[in-house]
Amino acid sequence: MWDTIFPYLLSGISVGGQYALIAIGYTMVYGILRLINFAHGDVFMVAGIIMVYIAASGLPVWISVLLVLIITALVGFVIERVAYKPLRTAPRMSVMISAIGVSYTLQNLVLYITGGLNKQYPAIPVISDSVKIGSATTKVVTIVTPVLVILLVVGLVMLINRTKIGMAMRAVSKDFETAQLMGIKINSVISTTFVIGSFLAGVGSVLYFTNYPTVIQTSGAMPGLKAFVAAVFGGIGSIPGAVIGAFIIGIMENLIKGLDVILFKAGAISRPLGLAIFSDAFTFALLIIILVVKPTGLFGEKTTDKV
Amino acid sequence: MKTKSRKPAVLTWVIVAAVYAAVFAAEQILPPSSMLFTVLKKGATYALVAVSMNLLNGFTGIFSLGQAGFMLIGAYVYGIFTIPVESRPVVYQYYEGGLIQFTVPVAVALILAGLAAAFFALLIGLPVLRLKSDYLAIATLGFAEIIRVIVQWDPMGPITNGANMLRMFPSFNDFNIRDAEGNVTLYLSTLVPFLIAGICIGLIVLLLHSGYGRALKSIRDDEIAAEAMGINLAHHKRLAFCISSFFAGIGGAMLAMYQTTVQAKFFTTAMTYEILLIVVIGGVGSVTGSVFSSFLFVAASEWWLRFLDEKQMIGNFEVPLLRNGFRLVVFSIIIMVVVLFFRKGIMGTRELPDLFRRKRKEAAK
Amino acid sequence: MSEMEIKTVPDMETDGETVLKLEHLTMQFGGVIAVNDFSMHIDRGEIVALIGPNGAGKTTAFNCVTSVYQPTSGHIYFHGKEIGGEKMHVTPDRITEQGIARTFQNIRLFSGMTVFDNIMTAMHLRRKSGLLTQVLHLNAEEEKKNREKAWKLLETVGLTDVAEEMATSLPYGKQRLLEIARALATEPTLLLLDEPAAGMNPQETNELGQFIVRIKNEFNLTVFMIEHHMNLVMDISDRIYVLDFGKPIANGTPEEVQQNPVVIAAYLGVDEE
Repeated sequence: MWDTIFPYLLSGISVGGQYALIAIGYTMVYGILRLINFAHGDVFMVAGIIMVYIAASGLPVWISVLLVLIITALVGFVIERVAYKPLRTAPRMSVMISAIGVSYTLQNLVLYITGGLNKQYPAIPVISDSVKIGSATTKVVTIVTPVLVILLVVGLVMLINRTKIGMAMRAVSKDFETAQLMGIKINSVISTTFVIGSFLAGVGSVLYFTNYPTVIQTSGAMPGLKAFVAAVFGGIGSIPGAVIGAFIIGIMENLIKGLDVILFKAGAISRPLGLAIFSDAFTFALLIIILVVKPTGLFGEKTTDKV
Repeated sequence: MKTKSRKPAVLTWVIVAAVYAAVFAAEQILPPSSMLFTVLKKGATYALVAVSMNLLNGFTGIFSLGQAGFMLIGAYVYGIFTIPVESRPVVYQYYEGGLIQFTVPVAVALILAGLAAAFFALLIGLPVLRLKSDYLAIATLGFAEIIRVIVQWDPMGPITNGANMLRMFPSFNDFNIRDAEGNVTLYLSTLVPFLIAGICIGLIVLLLHSGYGRALKSIRDDEIAAEAMGINLAHHKRLAFCISSFFAGIGGAMLAMYQTTVQAKFFTTAMTYEILLIVVIGGVGSVTGSVFSSFLFVAASEWWLRFLDEKQMIGNFEVPLLRNGFRLVVFSIIIMVVVLFFRKGIMGTRELPDLFRRKRKEAAK
Repeated sequence: MSEMEIKTVPDMETDGETVLKLEHLTMQFGGVIAVNDFSMHIDRGEIVALIGPNGAGKTTAFNCVTSVYQPTSGHIYFHGKEIGGEKMHVTPDRITEQGIARTFQNIRLFSGMTVFDNIMTAMHLRRKSGLLTQVLHLNAEEEKKNREKAWKLLETVGLTDVAEEMATSLPYGKQRLLEIARALATEPTLLLLDEPAAGMNPQETNELGQFIVRIKNEFNLTVFMIEHHMNLVMDISDRIYVLDFGKPIANGTPEEVQQNPVVIAAYLGVDEE
């Protein structure tokens, strides 16, 4: 029984960690701008495409990865400056529409550049290698991911709690106007948030596409949505919440993928039910349930509207 | 009390009648293969869907992204109930001809398509409509994804044909009247979608001009004040959601007729985004704007900007950048420019009759 | 005077027909008690004012009566029937339906609509025709009657000349009048006014006072208002309740309240107008 479940659990943890890295970007931006950055999943996809093209140029892998991370962070910065900053005082719906517009633009740009074809993600030494853990054979990235996620989250939490820019971030997310009055440079705080979020999405993309090594313009949509659900599930605005939410979603999703096999081996069903296709739908069902039962998520704060 | 000037309303009716007459005439004169008809048919379909989305996003202030899901329901219901019984063994070849072995008339199927979408809207609306703007957006988007998966699930196959496409149901071309030899005697394949969309959009306009329409707009303007004026938020939001979905369902059925096939995998989030962008370009809160921008969008993407996707030579000079996908890039840029710099879109919140009024004051009451 | 020293004063007796009655109303937000054990009542045809320094919990009390907030404890009765309070989960529209209408401190007009449509919207509640009848415009009779009524209301507040202007394009004072007209369109028997004279000059305030008395008589209303302009309050109120730090510290006729040392201390102590 355990031998059947274990491989699914393992890839669940891995994917969960990758979602976590995307989810942090969502939750940080939401915490500060109260905006669902619909384009964040596409930034993740763009990071994948950039890697494909940089690796093709023949640069050493570690330089390529570094370049990808820098360029991705820059993409996040530019998106914020071009598409969100001009709408700072606009109604929320306008900013959301702008985010959707950016998502549409990034996908179409990539479609144009790649010709709409699946691109093979380059194999990255060490983490692409196979390894055997117990009954399961997997890639090294599966083990690297959770470790790296924890390190990055610890680093990020320290950045937020110990540094000046971190303090400014906390202030802005608590009260936008007051923080501005206190002389905090809102725009640089927001830019920093986007840079960090995009950087982490870049890291996530390197790990994710090592596991699922093809990139196409729509590759970011689904992981992006799932990471967003993870952020909501954990309580939007909360970084640990987003990470825990992401691991839960990653694991559940993979268990559902294997549910037919698991149930079959356990003797509960005699023929496959095709339940695997619900692995995506499950995430959204979870979203709707959590929003109805506890809209503030696992770790979110409650707010009341003033009349 | 002063009386309202009737001139703008009369002018509007004249324009609408002229458009329908022109469509009818063009169809009899021009070859049916003309790009114009593709644009008109798809444009009419999108116009209905865009207006139905505007009813929610622009007039009620509910930011929903479930449109593709409701269109999918409409398209499937239409397909399932209109595929001729004798064609079913072919269509449902993997499911022994499918479960349903009867058909209903096209008009009935259209209404069923709407009702089915409205029914799902009612179900999903109960939990989801309590949510605030952006959460509601993502929850409705999630719902659309769930629907797409359920329809493709293998055990649903006898009804939905699983992941395979539905086809051979009546399409727009079947509205043409033919003689005994099968030659078309009267072309109606464009006029009929215009009529369907026209009636539906007309009903939405009537709704917006009724007391209920005002109630919905008041919710958009200020929920707390609306509630204090005795407007039941839950009830009215549900109403708007169901009505919008009803027409999105009919729009989905029209899309099925236009495409002649239906497959769940095409009703993606990207489709919803596209419709949202049409609404934004036309003007959030303007029915006229949505209709206008639907035709503009379809014409540009299917016809006028097609050349951007192909290599173009001017003399010996090859225009750079032009290849597959460039049209969409140009599109994206136009959209971002509208979103960032022309936030009111083409029409803002104005309607066609408003264009004939010089100032609001003149038409007072 | 500090928060601790404040004594809660019990409600007074009157011999009229009670319209609205609050019993031990308490509203707590986290650790903050915005309204603390507040009991009061209003009789038919009275104008009762609720005064107190900023942040005393006046608007919160209004929001409890209109069910915008769910009170932590206490009961609210309207014509003897419990309409709100602890464990009563009702939405604000149900309160309006029973005949309580309100205006807002920070004006909340429907910004995307004309002055006239703002009034028409408030009549939606009392319409008898259903959705289909309305959509197909088969309710011409009702629509005509409503339009005439809306027009009359605009005449009452003197806004007929701006009927087709956008509501939010009006000057401040006219917006306040429009809010009152809109509230009247819901056919209330009890009207709650939240700082109706805010931002008005003395002359406008004076006119507003006369206006409130006039509509009270014309529409057979009972009026409950929050107001900071003491001249207005003293001029038109039959009785006054005073809140400080959420607690009722005094009540009585304008003369009684004016001379009450506790009230004077509360106002002087917090540096108020």
